Amino acid sequence: MIHLLALGLCLAGFAALAFATHRQQRDIFGKALPRVTTYGLRAAGAGVLLLALGILVAAKSWSVGLVIFSGHTTMAAAIVFCALIGWGRLAARTARRRQNDARVRSVTRR
Amino acid sequence: MKADKEAQRAGRGIRQSMSGLHTWAGLLLGWVLYAMFLTGTVSYFKDELSQWTRPELARLSQVPDQAAVAQRIADELGNVAAGSSQWSIRLPDGRNNSVYAFWRTRGQGQRAFGEANFDPTTGQKISSRETLGGEFFFRFHFQLHYLPVVWGRWIAGIAAMFMLVAIISGVITHKRIFVDFFTFRWGKGQRSWLEAHNALSVFGLPFHFMITYTGLVTLMALYMPWGENAAFKTPAERQQMTSELSVFIQPGKPSGQSAPLASVEDMVRQAQERWGKGNVGRVTFVHPGDAAARVAVARGEAGRVSMSPQYMEFEGTTGKLLNVRDSVGAAAETRGVLYALHLGRFSDTQTRWLYFLVSFMGTAMVGTGLVMWTVKRRSRLRDPERPHFGFRLVERLNIASIVGLSIAMTAFLWANRLLPHPMEARADWEIHAFFAVWALTLLHALLRPAKAAWIEQFWTAAALLFLLPVLNALTTQRPLWHSLAQGDWVFAGIDVTCWALALLHVVLAVRTARNRSIVQSKRMPQVPVAIASSGAAE
Repeated sequence: MIHLLALGLCLAGFAALAFATHRQQRDIFGKALPRVTTYGLRAAGAGVLLLALGILVAAKSWSVGLVIFSGHTTMAAAIVFCALIGWGRLAARTARRRQNDARVRSVTRR
Repeated sequence: MKADKEAQRAGRGIRQSMSGLHTWAGLLLGWVLYAMFLTGTVSYFKDELSQWTRPELARLSQVPDQAAVAQRIADELGNVAAGSSQWSIRLPDGRNNSVYAFWRTRGQGQRAFGEANFDPTTGQKISSRETLGGEFFFRFHFQLHYLPVVWGRWIAGIAAMFMLVAIISGVITHKRIFVDFFTFRWGKGQRSWLEAHNALSVFGLPFHFMITYTGLVTLMALYMPWGENAAFKTPAERQQMTSELSVFIQPGKPSGQSAPLASVEDMVRQAQERWGKGNVGRVTFVHPGDAAARVAVARGEAGRVSMSPQYMEFEGTTGKLLNVRDSVGAAAETRGVLYALHLGRFSDTQTRWLYFLVSFMGTAMVGTGLVMWTVKRRSRLRDPERPHFGFRLVERLNIASIVGLSIAMTAFLWANRLLPHPMEARADWEIHAFFAVWALTLLHALLRPAKAAWIEQFWTAAALLFLLPVLNALTTQRPLWHSLAQGDWVFAGIDVTCWALALLHVVLAVRTARNRSIVQSKRMPQVPVAIASSGAAE
């Protein structure tokens, strides 16, 4: 159970940190988010990660807790990373389809 | 702008030289490192693999009372290994369904000891098929095979040193990886290889660094014996050092008077009170059956990130508690913690999976790095149809050492199921099968065109992995449906993991086939050869 909780928190933390980067904001929202939001995401991401660490250390002792935390942060970062790639490819595909549709429409109109 | 460019140029000096260092350190030992990483990765499930390779041994639905088992096996060793100067018993736990024991014998030479696995419920020797099981991958991972053990360990150590060099130079070369933490450009040829390699390296960086460094620490006494030799000169000093590193009983002289052992069960019970019911690891006996007998009961590994010895020492004939060792000095404890971090034996199942998955990412990092060497150079070849010798050599060695190893490791498990039992030197033949198949994959890689060799070997690995659970169902009494019904997660887990790995190889085969055809149809686009840093290309 504690593993699921820790992984969930780490996923949320890394997702927030990813949304706090300009590149992801540009790719996903099409524009940079306000500075306050960016800093907020950054702080929230870091805070959630620290929370996960705190829970693990409280439940499993410092030594084992740190090891497990390290494992979950690695996995969570990798999952968020893969999700962003997946999202990017999906978005690119829909964009391409929309473009094609538009082209077809303009050709038929002519 | 101008200042920026100049700064960039100045920075490029060190980064370019680091890039060269990274490329060549990575390539030269990359093949050994890949093998060490992959066999090391599966070694996190060494005990589970050992269970799988001995299907005759019944599953333990719950851990038996360790105290009773210790007594039972000690009684049996009194018959099997009478007159031995030392026994050691590893008690069963959640991950081991047998009791492993070894004892010294009178003979001279290297193998002056006997060993056997015992059934914890009956105390009798087990007549399972002869195999090294998961132990083979574990030992191969740091000492290779067919070589004197010391040579193998030196090669592994040199590879690990190169790995450290590759990690540090890699961080400097790809310093933008931290800035570009969540970026990836998909499907852009060399670029996406580079990004995949970067991603695998960055996410696992703390692990990769830890595992390489701690790996060196596990064998530091071999690699750097000088400090130890200078500090500890007399035998007494050396014994004291040994007692800081492992469970160690001062080997007194036997009295020559025979005397029966007191209740081993009681000794283990005292240890259970101290460390918890299922948390006793090993029981070691010195001069058992003699009036001067000593017994050490050591704490188990679960939940404790340290391999430093913790044990209770008893007088053998009376069962009197002589000494409790709870801690060691700071230096020894540092080593104990680093050692434990490497082996991860303190882990529960979930943490073990984390170790496995992150270590698997490390394997993929080395693999993508090796492949990148060829991907980067292919675009620069004068005549891509006829690459020069060095290129072809690397390309072929890559195939055999990456996919070939998947095939060979699976072949080891196939041999475990297919070789007759009993058979002379059966355990050795399983290992010969592993190397014979590995050699065949190299031969295949040399004879076939590179692209075809990759794809064919990926498919072979996928087929072997996919069919392994089928073979298991046909040759043992423990097919998947039986394991699932019984809640036997070791057997079921290995079957299902084989299928997952088979799927991975299918994906790789399909992607390789598709990817290569794109490259060919484009007639080798001239990708500008950027240095490995993404910063320079931006």
